[in-house]
Amino acid sequence: MCWRRVGINSLMLLVILPLYLVLQGTSWEQRAEVRRTSPPGYTLPAAFSRVLAMGYQGLLSDYEFLRAMTFYGDRSIKQQQMSSADWDFFAYSLDVVTDLDPYFLDPYVLGEGLLTWDTQRYETANALLRKGMRYRTWDWQLPYYVGFNHFYFLSDYATGSDYLMQAAKIPDSPAFLATLAARLAYYGGKSKTAVFFLQQMLAETNSEALRQRMGKRLLALQGAVLIEDALKQYRNVNSADPEALGELVRSGYLEELPQDPYGGQWTILQNGRVYSTSKFVDAKSDNQGN
Amino acid sequence: MLQRVWALALVTCKEGIRDRSMFGILLFALFVLGLNVAVAGFFMRDLGKVTVDMNLAALSFAGLLLVFFICINLMAKDIDKKTIQLVLSKPFSRGEYIFGKYFGLVLLVLSTLALLLIFSSATVAGVHAMYPTYFEGFSWSIFFLAVAFIALQLALLCAIVVFFSAITTSSFITLIFSMASYLVGVTLEEVLFYLKSQAAAGEVVASESLRSVLEVVAWLVPNFAAFDLKVEAAHGLALESVRLLTVAGYGFGYILLLLWLATLIFRRREFN
Repeated sequence: MCWRRVGINSLMLLVILPLYLVLQGTSWEQRAEVRRTSPPGYTLPAAFSRVLAMGYQGLLSDYEFLRAMTFYGDRSIKQQQMSSADWDFFAYSLDVVTDLDPYFLDPYVLGEGLLTWDTQRYETANALLRKGMRYRTWDWQLPYYVGFNHFYFLSDYATGSDYLMQAAKIPDSPAFLATLAARLAYYGGKSKTAVFFLQQMLAETNSEALRQRMGKRLLALQGAVLIEDALKQYRNVNSADPEALGELVRSGYLEELPQDPYGGQWTILQNGRVYSTSKFVDAKSDNQGN
Repeated sequence: MLQRVWALALVTCKEGIRDRSMFGILLFALFVLGLNVAVAGFFMRDLGKVTVDMNLAALSFAGLLLVFFICINLMAKDIDKKTIQLVLSKPFSRGEYIFGKYFGLVLLVLSTLALLLIFSSATVAGVHAMYPTYFEGFSWSIFFLAVAFIALQLALLCAIVVFFSAITTSSFITLIFSMASYLVGVTLEEVLFYLKSQAAAGEVVASESLRSVLEVVAWLVPNFAAFDLKVEAAHGLALESVRLLTVAGYGFGYILLLLWLATLIFRRREFN
């Protein structure tokens, strides 16, 4: 009897336990692969999830937000390009999160940070932010973001200026908003404004994935600002644009051309603005999942 | 009379505290509070909101577990084990029994909530100290107000448990009916407003008769969503005193009504 028990215990210890440990590890690896290659999940429409939350809408909004953020983070860490379906899922998730708790700031910040810069869904981002403006009436940041989008991405300076003025009128909003609104109305220093905007977003963002992304974009825009400033000086002296940007270095206006962290080449557009061939987005990597 | 009601309430509460499931419920709530500290950092800005969401959810969910799994047992035990004969043979009216039991359950819920609130406040204060800049709209007074209304919601649920215990013979039926009342009460508002908004937008999603039925149900089942101040607490939104007084009056009124009905039914009940 005693020997049988020892035998069973030894079997458990020597066979079953190692087998369990191996299978446990393998199953986690398998799950990682399944997650990597799986299409984006499904987010229940808010009309249903608000009911199914059973009074815990706030908690459910936290969970759904975390899910959307993890989904993006997962793709980002593995340097997988987000497909159109991925972005659909992401944008819809943020919409549902803000239906569950329209006062929740994070989805608006994340939406502004990604839907505009990464996927050019300006109207989706603006619609999300306008929803937030209806609820977070004390928050100057949301009209500020909408104003920035109109100015920078949509080149609609009048509307952008209107939103910034709206933001400036909110109590406790920073003093620079009013002057910024006026500056935008005259259209100037576009890259400088974007640098300023990104610096401010970066300072208030806790998410590491978003910080890295914004940091890279900030670096690219700072490079553009540097070249634009040198170009301005060149024009003042020579009353003409240089034939190539290398001319700025040769004439001593720039020590060297800054690197575009996205790997693009700097060019002067016909309207005199400096731009990069990378368009400040990462070169496409394989997206095996989609 | 008050003395007898108080004595029974105290006995009921002590009996509840001795229940071992209580440790499980407390541990669960403490686990969620601990999880809050770990999870808060995953968010970007609104850490205060996430912290309050998790804390209030832990308190309210622990309260629900307490009512559904301990309070129902406490009510049923007397009848199942026939100890009620012993209680009623004493100079105890049936009305006093109902009220005594009810106050015992409420005392148990309140003392558990008070204990959890200490831990919860410590968690909120801890996360607040870790991320002071991300607690912009947070207000302790609204947080405590939200907890008070969770307590009122649970007190109302206790009254429902007492009511169903008075009319049914099995604790399982009481559990099913109480849970159903809670689930309907907590979701009904959302469904009704959704149907109304769809009807206003000209979209027919459900028949008019269904809406009418739900409106009748809304008169019968308490609207638990009215006691929910979690969103306000999470964002530190101002609360109008008229709203608070109305909801509190609605809650206390419903509780009294249920206890009165439970007493009426319980008086006519025969025990074998």
